[in-house]
Amino acid sequence: VPAGRVSLRCCSTRVSLEGVNRPVIDRIIRVDHAGEYGANRIYAGQMAVLGRSSVGPVIQQMWNQEKDHLKKFNELMVAYRVRPTVLLPFWNVAGFVLGAGSALLGKKGAMACTVAVEESISDHYNSQIRTLMEEDPEKYKELLQVIKQFRDDEREHHDIGLEHDAEAAPAYSVLKTAIQLGCKAAIFLSERI
Amino acid sequence: VRCQLSPPHRALQASAVLRRVSDEQKEPLASSSQQQFDSHPTNHQPEQEPQGPRPSYTGQGGQESEDYESEEQLQHRILTAALEFVPEHGWTAEAIAEGAKTLGLSAAAAGMFHSDGSELILHFVSQCNTKLSELLEQEQKLVQLGEAEKKPTDQFLRDAVQARLRMLIPYIEKWPQALSILLLPHNIPSGLNLLTSMIDDIWHYAGDQSTDFNWYTRRAVLTGIYNTTELVMMQDSSPDFEDTWRFLENRVADAMNMGSTANQVQSTGEAVVQGLMGAAVTVSSAETSRAVR
Repeated sequence: VPAGRVSLRCCSTRVSLEGVNRPVIDRIIRVDHAGEYGANRIYAGQMAVLGRSSVGPVIQQMWNQEKDHLKKFNELMVAYRVRPTVLLPFWNVAGFVLGAGSALLGKKGAMACTVAVEESISDHYNSQIRTLMEEDPEKYKELLQVIKQFRDDEREHHDIGLEHDAEAAPAYSVLKTAIQLGCKAAIFLSERI
Repeated sequence: VRCQLSPPHRALQASAVLRRVSDEQKEPLASSSQQQFDSHPTNHQPEQEPQGPRPSYTGQGGQESEDYESEEQLQHRILTAALEFVPEHGWTAEAIAEGAKTLGLSAAAAGMFHSDGSELILHFVSQCNTKLSELLEQEQKLVQLGEAEKKPTDQFLRDAVQARLRMLIPYIEKWPQALSILLLPHNIPSGLNLLTSMIDDIWHYAGDQSTDFNWYTRRAVLTGIYNTTELVMMQDSSPDFEDTWRFLENRVADAMNMGSTANQVQSTGEAVVQGLMGAAVTVSSAETSRAVR
């Protein structure tokens, strides 16, 4: 029974689940994990197409940071005993297709995709930070720290994208809007399923 | 997935939240009980207040620091007492009435519950799951202290499922009845919830750290193993249910094999995808170089 489980101590790590607002934390970790997983796949798709181009190293570096993010959320997921979203296999494919597809539009297309996604993600992290601050900043200190750090990283990726002429991409505003709508839908679904 | 329990299932919540009596989340429960039981207006107050017109039940253990018992705690105690009478009366209001009588209450206390015995069964299942969790927690402590060997996964799963199913043995005659009541539409959400959290617990203590789709496949497989073994147990007449445990062993072994087959399928799939990607990139760079020329 869900209510009784809150008082169990997590065995493999030292996170105590005592008094944690399970529904809120579950959603936050599940959707963030899905987001980092998706971001990983997007960069993988971009690298598959643009890996040997001049922006290859830039994308690789951003990808490496996303890999670290995903690793961290994997740990948090186990620590807080959160289930992953059932849509992971779908995000696996969709992320890769989005990354590869935007990269096939050229380097600027890839950067435009990066800008769109990273903007969505940092807005999303910001609202999570607000939620956690409203809940209990002390209790969720570690989680808040992690999300703040990651939000800063994503903003940096967003700025890198802009520096590399994202706005000069073909149909930039249409592309950006479409991608951000997709991100909103992905966030909505991953929180719940 | 956390479901909202309907008011008749507050007894289920009662047994599960015994350790969270003072938790603020009980306010919604208190207000829903207000609708049903107008003769207990004191439920409106948070349980921390010691004074109340109801008689206090002291010396029963688990009272925390209050001498005022909440309705949830009372229901929990009645249902626990009723379990003793299940082998004789089945999962029925009669068993609950008998249980209430042993606590010095009137048999009419059974009126607090559904007439089909749902709460009693859910309470029992919840109690068994809690016992299982405690057992697994203790075993884990022993392993951490170095006093016991860490079991291989298949043995761990076998032992955990067996321990849990053994808790049914005193009630085995009436368990098929309980299973059919649990399949009633209004019990399915709570029953499913209890099942999934038990399976999740077992995997958690088995050391599952998957964060991908494996999380689901493992739990689905173990749920299948548990349910089929439970059904086999209902029809087993061998001494100490040894046929059941042998069945369990075979199913767990099958599941382990399934794992390695799945890995093979996945690596094949990955190889195919890589091949396709390589082909796509080669074609697109061939196109670009042809365009340049």
